[in-house]
Amino acid sequence: MSALVGSLVVFALLRLLGGDVAYILLGKEATQDQVIALRIELGLDRIWFVQYFDWIGGFFSANLGTSFSGSYEIFDQIGQRLVPTLLLAFGSLFVSMVLALFLGTYAALNADNTKGIATDIVSQIGTAIPAFWAGLILVVVFSVSLGWFPAGGYVPIQENFLGSLRSIFLPIVALSLGITSVTTRFVRSAMLDVLNEDYIRTAMARGQTRNRAVFVHGLRNAAIPVVTVGALQLGNLLAGTIVIESVFVIPGLGQLLLSAVNGREVIVVQSVVLVILLIILVMNFLLDIAYGLLDPRILDKRNGA
Amino acid sequence: MVTRLKKSWSKPTRARLSNLPASLLIGGGLVGFLVCVALLSFVWTPYDPITIDVRNRYLPIWSDGHILGTDKFGRDVLTQLIMGARNSLFVSVVSTLVSLVIGTLLGLYVAAAGARLQNIISRGVDVGVAIPGILVAMVLATAIGPGNAAAITAIIIWFIPVSARVVIGPTMQVLSQDYIEAAFGYGRTKWFVLFNHVLPNISSIIIVQASVMFAAAILIEASLSFLGVGAQPPTASWGRTLKEAQPLMEIAPSLMVVPGLAIVIAVLGFNLLGDGLRTYYDPQQARKR
Repeated sequence: MSALVGSLVVFALLRLLGGDVAYILLGKEATQDQVIALRIELGLDRIWFVQYFDWIGGFFSANLGTSFSGSYEIFDQIGQRLVPTLLLAFGSLFVSMVLALFLGTYAALNADNTKGIATDIVSQIGTAIPAFWAGLILVVVFSVSLGWFPAGGYVPIQENFLGSLRSIFLPIVALSLGITSVTTRFVRSAMLDVLNEDYIRTAMARGQTRNRAVFVHGLRNAAIPVVTVGALQLGNLLAGTIVIESVFVIPGLGQLLLSAVNGREVIVVQSVVLVILLIILVMNFLLDIAYGLLDPRILDKRNGA
Repeated sequence: MVTRLKKSWSKPTRARLSNLPASLLIGGGLVGFLVCVALLSFVWTPYDPITIDVRNRYLPIWSDGHILGTDKFGRDVLTQLIMGARNSLFVSVVSTLVSLVIGTLLGLYVAAAGARLQNIISRGVDVGVAIPGILVAMVLATAIGPGNAAAITAIIIWFIPVSARVVIGPTMQVLSQDYIEAAFGYGRTKWFVLFNHVLPNISSIIIVQASVMFAAAILIEASLSFLGVGAQPPTASWGRTLKEAQPLMEIAPSLMVVPGLAIVIAVLGFNLLGDGLRTYYDPQQARKR
């Protein structure tokens, strides 16, 4: 539902502010007749809602036609570029959530000493580092100087599994840095609350060590805010993916979007944006499921039990 | 009487400065420095920002006359950095202020409106928050062409639902207080109550939010100009300087390090300022964190 609303908004924005695509494609020397002919050819002369339903219908029936420049089939192109983007997005989400869970717990357990404060400072700086700059620095250090990883490009996962992992390792590290830092700060405050809970004291009274009590009983409870913050970070994550693809020259949706923006490929732009919104919605849905698994009380409340 | 007693007991200003949260002082210092540099660029820069000097290309850091070296056109890096600070602050100040004003008004209105409108608008706000600002910027850049205008408009569109969402909850909380009912009973209009009784009570939340949004806006501006969707040449921008430095990373790595550090310092400054302000306004809540 919200994806459809989003698609309408994107469509409206592009049509309202878009200017005349035919005019831009033909350049300034075009005659009036040429412009009109091209508009008819591209279907831009029809009423807006016919254009909208034509596009959205084509989107869901896997037929979006060719790009204005005629060089590629839009739907196939999106399909090909979906995989690297999904790998990056899901990979970074997973890496950063797991890392944040442990770093945040570590910071909370050491809240009063220098180790905890050091973790705080690092996470504070981590939130301020833009993902694309982190990517550039990683390339300089690990590709140009040390030569451990390729500086860019993407090896398809079906061709060479290890090579594929190597090609997306640095991008995932760069992307995870910021999201891990933000999430770590939330885990820390959640964990501090958890440490004061009765069940931790009970577990320790039963003879468990503090660390064991925290890992057995606390971690699952502290994971709930991770999921909440993770859901809020999805937009940032996908935005970061677009930028990171540009840093590492990964042929994903972001690169397609960028070239479409420069070529004023309106249909490509709106389709890619819609796909990205759908990815966000699906990830949101998955996190919602994780929510229920981590805390069964939430499911009970929803089912009215 | 009590307040007067307190006043005479309070320590002089210098002692109180040290009572302020450290993050507020550091953040405020960084932000203040940044603002000063940006303002300075209007009256003085070390070199002319757009003059090309082919003889002095790729000078390293600490060169004579060019403390941070020069880029591939022989332009002074420090000058580019200062002009970039101006562009960065310009974009973030304009977009944050406009979206804060619109978002706050929207939030106040929604919080005071009936339940049905609240449901519709907050659903819309939720959708709006989920859409990444960079996507909005890309769509706008397709429509009106890349540049600062596209970047600023995109950030505004992205921030309005964010700031509205921050305002709605606290406003509803204040509206449920007895003195609000008293004010309505006194015959005050809705907007009079919202501006004179609600707004002062939620102003600290808005100020903290503003600081966080400044930081986010600086990050987005840098990302957009890195992608080539933001500020266009010859306007200096940190993100674009980084983009230009990317193919040169083997010849002149310092070109890539310096603008990135500037972004980190700016974002860190505003983030710390926001944290510090939050602690300052609500020390008890902050101590729990």
